[in-house]
Amino acid sequence: MRRFEYHEPTSLKEASQLLTSLGEGAYFLAGGTDLFVEIRERLRQVRHLVNIKRVPGLDQIEWSDQTGLRFGAQVTAGQLEASGYLNGRYPNLRAALKALASIQVRNRATVVGNVCRASPSADTIPPLIADGAVIETYRPGGGRHIPLAEFFAGPGRTVLEPGEIVIAVTVPPPAQGSHRAYLKHGRRKAMELATVGVAVSLEVEDGLCTGARVALGAVGPVVLRAPQTEAILVGSRLDAAVLNAAAEQAMQECTPISNVRASAEYRREMVGVLTRRAVMLALEEAA
Amino acid sequence: MNKIHLEITVNGEARSMMVEGHRSLLDALREEAGLTGTKKGCDVGDCGACTVIVDGRPVNACLMLAVEAQGAEILTIEGLQPDPDTLHPLQEAFMEHGASQCGFCSPGILIMAKCLLDRNPLPSDEEIRFGLSGNICRCTGYTKIFDAIRTAGRRMAAARAQSVEA
Amino acid sequence: MTKHEFRIVGKSVKRQDVIEKITGEGRYTGDYHLPGLLSGKIKRAEIAHARIRRIDVSRALAYPGVKAVLTHHDVPRVLHYGSPHPRSASCTMDQYILDDRVRFWGEGIAAVAAVSEEIADEALDLIEVEYEPLPAVLDIDAAQAPDAPLIHDVGPGGNLVIPPVHIERGDVEKGFAEADLILEGEFSGGRPVPTYMEPNVCIADWDGSNKLTFWTSTQTSFMVRGALAEVLGLPLNKVRVLVDHMGGGFGAKQDLFQHEFLCALLAKKCRRPVKMEFTRRETFLAGRSRHPFRLWLRQGFRKDGTLTAREMKIVYESGAYGSHSPGVTNVGTASATSLYRCENVRLDGRAVYTNTPIAGAYRGYGVVQTYFAIDIQMDEAAEKLGIDPAGIRLRNAVREGDIAPSGHPVVGYGLEACIRHGIRAFDWAGKRAADRHDPANPAIRKGWGIGCEMHGSSAYPGIKEQGNAIVRMNEDGSVTLLTGAAGLGTGAHTALAQIVAEELGVPFETVSVVHGDTDVVPWDIGAFASHTTYLVGSAAKMAAAELRQRVLARAAEKLQEKPGHLEMVEGVILVQGQPDRSITVAEAMGPSRGIPAEHLVASGSYMPTKSYSFAAHFVEVAVDTETGIIECRKVMPVHDVGRVIHPVAAQGQIEGGIQQGIGHTLTEDYVIDRTTGRSLNAGLVDYKMPLSMDMPDIETVILEAAPDPGGPWGAKGVGEDPIIAIGPAIANAVYDAIGVRFHHYPITPEDVLNGLRRKAAESSARD
Repeated sequence: MRRFEYHEPTSLKEASQLLTSLGEGAYFLAGGTDLFVEIRERLRQVRHLVNIKRVPGLDQIEWSDQTGLRFGAQVTAGQLEASGYLNGRYPNLRAALKALASIQVRNRATVVGNVCRASPSADTIPPLIADGAVIETYRPGGGRHIPLAEFFAGPGRTVLEPGEIVIAVTVPPPAQGSHRAYLKHGRRKAMELATVGVAVSLEVEDGLCTGARVALGAVGPVVLRAPQTEAILVGSRLDAAVLNAAAEQAMQECTPISNVRASAEYRREMVGVLTRRAVMLALEEAA
Repeated sequence: MNKIHLEITVNGEARSMMVEGHRSLLDALREEAGLTGTKKGCDVGDCGACTVIVDGRPVNACLMLAVEAQGAEILTIEGLQPDPDTLHPLQEAFMEHGASQCGFCSPGILIMAKCLLDRNPLPSDEEIRFGLSGNICRCTGYTKIFDAIRTAGRRMAAARAQSVEA
Repeated sequence: MTKHEFRIVGKSVKRQDVIEKITGEGRYTGDYHLPGLLSGKIKRAEIAHARIRRIDVSRALAYPGVKAVLTHHDVPRVLHYGSPHPRSASCTMDQYILDDRVRFWGEGIAAVAAVSEEIADEALDLIEVEYEPLPAVLDIDAAQAPDAPLIHDVGPGGNLVIPPVHIERGDVEKGFAEADLILEGEFSGGRPVPTYMEPNVCIADWDGSNKLTFWTSTQTSFMVRGALAEVLGLPLNKVRVLVDHMGGGFGAKQDLFQHEFLCALLAKKCRRPVKMEFTRRETFLAGRSRHPFRLWLRQGFRKDGTLTAREMKIVYESGAYGSHSPGVTNVGTASATSLYRCENVRLDGRAVYTNTPIAGAYRGYGVVQTYFAIDIQMDEAAEKLGIDPAGIRLRNAVREGDIAPSGHPVVGYGLEACIRHGIRAFDWAGKRAADRHDPANPAIRKGWGIGCEMHGSSAYPGIKEQGNAIVRMNEDGSVTLLTGAAGLGTGAHTALAQIVAEELGVPFETVSVVHGDTDVVPWDIGAFASHTTYLVGSAAKMAAAELRQRVLARAAEKLQEKPGHLEMVEGVILVQGQPDRSITVAEAMGPSRGIPAEHLVASGSYMPTKSYSFAAHFVEVAVDTETGIIECRKVMPVHDVGRVIHPVAAQGQIEGGIQQGIGHTLTEDYVIDRTTGRSLNAGLVDYKMPLSMDMPDIETVILEAAPDPGGPWGAKGVGEDPIIAIGPAIANAVYDAIGVRFHHYPITPEDVLNGLRRKAAESSARD
């Protein structure tokens, strides 16, 4: 590991001030499971780490029928996965958490950290976007609520300002007739980074799709919503023809690149396969 | 780099040491505490060879700073035996089944398997495979490891049942 | 062979070394710490081919905590081999410790020693290098182009590592003329890396008498000793190499690595011990891979499936240095003389330099590539001729007395037994007749395939090997075996102890093994070529037999009996036919009136020829025709390994080999960028080994069909065999599932989808 100075603030205000005053090379530390790798592999020059784990009040997982699920910045993927709140409500998020790296990593990695890393292939982002999650931040001048779909500015980049800290994520409660799924494509069954990840969140009434949000991971600079695909699903009976049309459309709506994991063409093709399969899986897994 | 006073409990023994802030828990265990049973196979959380239990949860010791373990209870492979003359049922089963070849992954896999069996002594094949999905073994093809975990689980469950009866 | 009732051999006794591994007490090289230990790090080139115009280490040297920096200006300029097999002619002298030339991305260009790993690592950034870029040769075609830039000044020229290997037997033209069917195809394969779990690591420490003590994770400690001594200009008794536990090697830890020389030189310069430990990334950059290859194969068959002729040309990609290419090219090319018998063969094998990471020794040593091609073409012939794939293999399988790749007649022949056993146990006919569809998932197609292999135990005749053992009986009757064989993790030391205990007639638990110290143990060529049990086991058996005679002679004196009337069973010496007259081994060795206590020593040396082990692998795959993902669901490996010494350890070797074989066939490929030479996946997330969730059910069958008189009680090797047959078995099963032939590995999901599209286009063009 390269050397850095370690800081352990005990309030949001202190953490925020530290980060601003330490200047270039200062980063927040949440779970660290990505950050330490980046330091070791020299992908990020870190002079100061500001650990936010001693800041009180960021470790809660809460549920309310009105506002849905809310989890703080210190909540690990493992804790959220194990909490009963996801069962029957957010099967897509649960599947994404279960598919994230390994059990050991999930016991350190925070969900907020996975989101703030802003990787287009992050597992938790597609389901959170499909479910309409909102980011809650702390800023010296007053915090913000930012819809997750508007949170990313590019690969590895968010709209956060210097010193702004994400304190929690809120996910609205599922509506009546909600059906959700997340499918991840990789060469192995575990320890994978998604080649493609597709999350769907549907509302179905009497066989008719009344609402649909489709989020596509690892096929663009950020996790993408697929609005035209959603438009095909909404108002339909989700039969085979509609699913095929939606799959075709999703392939058009993504902008994948080629790299060592897969070619752009293959990724695009998998967006089609996974979109269709995710809708089918969601219909099986009634919320 | 300033050093931080760290107090942790490792395998039931209170330890105090001075560590630099950037030091990983893995390096602190291996170099400061002299507990070299926990292995460094990748140092980036991909192989599971450094799996230890921190406050009841398995983690990669390479993906945690030593200072983050302040006050924690840690179990490493050196603490798996109930006493120096007795092997843990998992260790017995690993011997019998040939679940350890080069042995470099064994400490991490044994710790992970302990976590699995403590929660669920009779895991299904699928649960065993899922439980070990963050631990790379390159020698065995995993077959013997699965066998050993099943055997140990059965014995632990039987022992537990017996102690309940008694 | 006389009938022998085994007490210890053939039983899965508790492995002596395993208790240390499962308690965490076993010491691997990286676990050692010495007072004053410094940390060494290597600066690696970020260019594939260049001359170093200028290298400035002044800032690094001035960095607080840095103790020494070495560049090509500071180290002895001695040309040496990467693979220093001392009795082999097949070495290539093409490496310097550090050169003013860079031949691959990741090659070491400087080394730093500092008081901590962090400081050494940070100092690397302060070394300034100015390169004069040279045109890079990044694949086999580029290396063979007529105007290709040359990577080395040594060698036969044209980027060849060694002169082409040419093997010709019989009359190939006549053979093809007699054929009813001639098949021709091109094959290729990626760059699998062994990915042992313990990254390379070494520690160097010099004492006041200018003696180097060197801990390192190596399969070949005496070769490390030899090469270090030669390059550093020391006599052999001034270099002591120590290997304790080893976290795997799979062949690749046979080379002399750049960091091993640099660690020794840094320690000398600093007058302090230095440790050098690879990061996982460095195990990719600076480790050794299997050779990528291009292969052309043409074979003739009669209507009944009998082979009439075989012609093969193979080119192995050696990477930037020769390393094991001479051996791999010779062994791999020769392997194509056999497996399926063919009187008329013409083979051409080459190895070429490229500006890519070094290919070296890796389990399966040149044979993985050739048998992949041969066994796939065998399937194609079966289909064209309307013969069952297992049947065509039975028809052509190598037989007793056929000339083996080594040039000797095959002694002990087990391939037919393996195929026949698998046909029954796997229910080959039933499975092949079953529906390819999966009722649970309409996108899935199932398929079943077979692959075969044979592999030699020992590297003879390429290397004249010698196995040595010293067995000592101590005054209390306990036994110490001294061996130079490395313990990679296969359980070899346990097998050797079993052999000694069996031959001596003492309990297994009374035998302990001393290994891994070149100052103490007898010379050993190293643990490779599936030969430790075969070669060192024979030496240990010979030593034990001699020791037994000497112990019995001593006991005879005590018992006032003729030695020939005595036998030793489980540590008790009995007078034959007189059950009441016996003494324990301890009593025999201990003092008694007029006879002082004694310890006895015997040694054994064995120069083997060669034996072959055989296997047939039967597999089931499931192909997702929408994603292209191939899942290997079931494997039944059937192996003939001669006499089994430790069944569980042998099974474990086989199952681990299958894991690696599935890996290189489906997911593993270390990818080098074709334009820059940069590594694209030097890590465990993007280099995709099959893990716990990916492994199929494996039902291992070991047959003792064909014991070989050259091994202890007929034991043969097993280490390399399992990685060879699995690849073609999978490729053949994939064809069975979806009707698309693949001639390369890894077979990626994209390849599958493209193949299915091609097949659909062809069939619609036909309609």
